[in-house]
Amino acid sequence: MTSGVVTQDWQQILARRSFLEGDALDRAAALLDPDGFRVLCGPFDRLESPWLEPQGIVPQADDGVVIARGTVAGRPAVIASIEQGFQGGGTGEVSGAKTSQALRLAAEASRHGSPTAAILLFETGGVRLQEANLGLNAVAEICSAVLDLRPLAPVIGVVAGEVGSFGGMSIAAGLCTRLIITPQGRIGLNGPAVIEQEAGIDEFDSSDRALIWSIDGGEQRTAIGLADKLVGDDRDLIRAAVLEAVAAGVPPAGTHRSERIDVLGSRLASLDPKNAPAPQDLRRLWGPMFEPIDGASPAKAATSSATMSRGRLWLSTLAATEPVAVIPSVIRADTDDATYLAVVPDPENPFHRARNGEVGLTESWALAETIDEVVSADTALHMKRAVVAVVDLPSQAYGRIEEMAGLHHAIAAAVDAYHRARNAGHPTVAIVVGQALSGGFLAHGLQAQQILALDDPGVQIHAMHKSAAARITLRTVDELEKLAETVVPLSYHVRDWAQLGFCDGLLPVSDADAPTADDVSAVRHAVDAAIAAARSGPRDLSNRLESPGALQNRKASRAIHDVMSAQWHDAGAP
Amino acid sequence: MQTLRYRFPADRTARRRTHIGVVASGDLEVLLDEAPNDVAQVRVRTSVDGFDTVWHATLERFFAHTPLAGRWELNDFGATPAVVTLRLRQAAEAATDDQAGAQ
Repeated sequence: MTSGVVTQDWQQILARRSFLEGDALDRAAALLDPDGFRVLCGPFDRLESPWLEPQGIVPQADDGVVIARGTVAGRPAVIASIEQGFQGGGTGEVSGAKTSQALRLAAEASRHGSPTAAILLFETGGVRLQEANLGLNAVAEICSAVLDLRPLAPVIGVVAGEVGSFGGMSIAAGLCTRLIITPQGRIGLNGPAVIEQEAGIDEFDSSDRALIWSIDGGEQRTAIGLADKLVGDDRDLIRAAVLEAVAAGVPPAGTHRSERIDVLGSRLASLDPKNAPAPQDLRRLWGPMFEPIDGASPAKAATSSATMSRGRLWLSTLAATEPVAVIPSVIRADTDDATYLAVVPDPENPFHRARNGEVGLTESWALAETIDEVVSADTALHMKRAVVAVVDLPSQAYGRIEEMAGLHHAIAAAVDAYHRARNAGHPTVAIVVGQALSGGFLAHGLQAQQILALDDPGVQIHAMHKSAAARITLRTVDELEKLAETVVPLSYHVRDWAQLGFCDGLLPVSDADAPTADDVSAVRHAVDAAIAAARSGPRDLSNRLESPGALQNRKASRAIHDVMSAQWHDAGAP
Repeated sequence: MQTLRYRFPADRTARRRTHIGVVASGDLEVLLDEAPNDVAQVRVRTSVDGFDTVWHATLERFFAHTPLAGRWELNDFGATPAVVTLRLRQAAEAATDDQAGAQ
């Protein structure tokens, strides 16, 4: 291992005890003070995933996440440690609910005078595709819970192992107060194999390990300021880094990496996708300090691309006004009391992997920037404007430049902005009028308090498109479709999605591509009602666990919620 | 995936319930919980179908040597008989040794 940062002599290397070779419990134990930590929702609580056995997959008793509550150097902390060996560390309903509930309980304890840090050990390939839509929502809830805790106590992310952090969970990593990584660790949104599968070997050769680590690896992420500390694979070093990060406490509001939209905008402005720098050159261009680049500021107020799409159609129709472009692929329309936002196709997009309406780097930035502007403009107002996400996007952008620049971080900035708007009292509503897939939906839609969808065959909400999901789970498309008939979260039908508990309205329309006056009036009425409900309802995402759909199809999430809460309060102060 | 159930006579008792291993490729997790009777009740969920005879032989040999009563749950992801025996021994050791500390 050639590393300038990891300066250990050979005796230290021989004497070290590996952190990443341990299992999830072992890694949690390596970080917590040895006396008196306690595992919550452990294997003998038998809260395993209800969705795997019906698919012929052997479950794990704790669903692959260890929640351990204790102290680090005397400070209260809770750890969520992902077991990389089980289903590639994928986030399912149960493992996701365990992580978000641990974060919520830490926030509750922090509010009641016992600041409780959270330490997230990311070893994950992202959403567990066998639990698709429930996993995707679980990631959205984890992101929201990280953001709820972060102002009260530090949330420390550690990426140690060779699985690394990929998929939606990397957005959560991007939201952390501080991020610690080893040279073996990797952080990215789309893994190399997925990019190769989606975009071909010219875009990303997933067999090229040097290329992978030059883009996603711990050294590179630290060198461009997307991770805070690079440490060797050594329990003592990683523990010391975690102690230091916890002791550093909560930085001032506005200084978290995912809040620095100015840095993101400036960095993207300095990047020419047609003549993209090599990863080594990006280090020189951006550097490890997360500060704006001199002379680089993003170009706004472009003209929008004219390509027609459902997103554009419904945005203009609902707002009853001509949209304006933030950038050519992100449009907004403002009414007296709401700002409508959509990501739209732009065939001229300089980022060639984001030309069909995918959420890429500049799209994430434009969403974050616009929402931030809305929040700032309404600071003094009692009645805040609503933010309505009109959702019609095929996915996030699968590309090499996107990963090099850190798409997970750009999306984290958008997620953070939606959360900030929600917390400031802006009613946030999403209306899905077309596709809402994967990381794209996490960036634009899933942080809303109310989610509506058109009841139309063209509306599809999922963690990944069908052929890719089939390939990754080693099934044929036919087998996947067959399973989806009985395993609700796997289904691609919007009516099945609506049963999972996070749909606040499924709206019938006669023609989603050419809505009639009646369609428009019914949908507009539903959006207004959702805005009113969001205004008077909870500002967090708790309604998704209390809805009629959740009572039916999120029983496991609810059980985690109750059992962990009881165990947490039973344990008293650690 | 296949679910197999076995019962073996067992007269030793565990001091504590025990959890060992993970459901990772080539590995398995073992949960040993207390159960009232002088019997080892074993439930195996394995990702590999058709190895009933091998499972029976592996478990029979283990419980003949270590007749530890309780409710045993094995969640297997393609472990070889040697790994299965190793995990069972680890679980038995953690459940019966004098030092507390198992989760």
